[in-house]
Amino acid sequence: MTDIFIAPVKSKQKNQHTTEKSHMHALSSFSKNPLGIKFEAQKKDESIVLFLRPHILTNLPWVSLGIFLIFFPLIIMKILPMLGINFLSSEIIAHFTTAYVIFYYLIVFSYVLISFLTWFYNIFIVTADRIIDIRYSDIVIHNVSETNLHHIEDVRYSQSGVIPTLFNYGNLYAQTAGATENFEARSIPKPKEVTDIIASLIGND
Amino acid sequence: MTFSFFQPIFLIKVITLIVVGFYIIFTFIVFTQVKAMGKIIGLPHASSIFKTVSIINIILAISLFLFALVIL
Repeated sequence: MTDIFIAPVKSKQKNQHTTEKSHMHALSSFSKNPLGIKFEAQKKDESIVLFLRPHILTNLPWVSLGIFLIFFPLIIMKILPMLGINFLSSEIIAHFTTAYVIFYYLIVFSYVLISFLTWFYNIFIVTADRIIDIRYSDIVIHNVSETNLHHIEDVRYSQSGVIPTLFNYGNLYAQTAGATENFEARSIPKPKEVTDIIASLIGND
Repeated sequence: MTFSFFQPIFLIKVITLIVVGFYIIFTFIVFTQVKAMGKIIGLPHASSIFKTVSIINIILAISLFLFALVIL
């Protein structure tokens, strides 16, 4: 008897991406099966399928502002003598100026450090069992949420704007069942691919 | 000229030292957060680099406080 319908064997192909381990670049925003990464409460046999953080391009605003703030005092130092103001006119004023300039650069340094940490530690991890969302903001706030993959009902992504479309990054939304918190990964690279991987993991769960 | 606690220069010095003092506290908070994040997620080399950078930040802030205390 001839076969009317033969179901395509997709599961093996879909799971191929979960088997190849790769070394991750320190500043990588997208990594499949990364090696050498561990998170708190990770189970012994739990492997990371996807490691995500916002696209590196999202750092552009604070990098630009940081560069401007570094050169800002130099601009001021060029402009003020033209207006007849001299901050080195007397010894005491020169001392204050020195202290304030050093303090200013320390604040700029802190701003750059915190902005970088905020990007670096905003991580979205997908394992074979669950997703973990690590958020770090405003230096005093860090939040870690997780949910099992079988709690996820729907996963979708959105890409809006010229730059996100051009550089292929966007937001990913994972809707969970019941009163559990929904998950959102902002400005992650290759959102379609991530959505497909999570969808395939949910399907195989 | 007699020394007075109400001289503007002295007040500015005290305010500067208080602000820098707050900044030192802030650098310690940054260090604590970096340590906490290092425990939450273990990324290769990241934790040790950030700890070193935040310790340098603390040292610079304390140095500035001492510098301001001496020269202002």
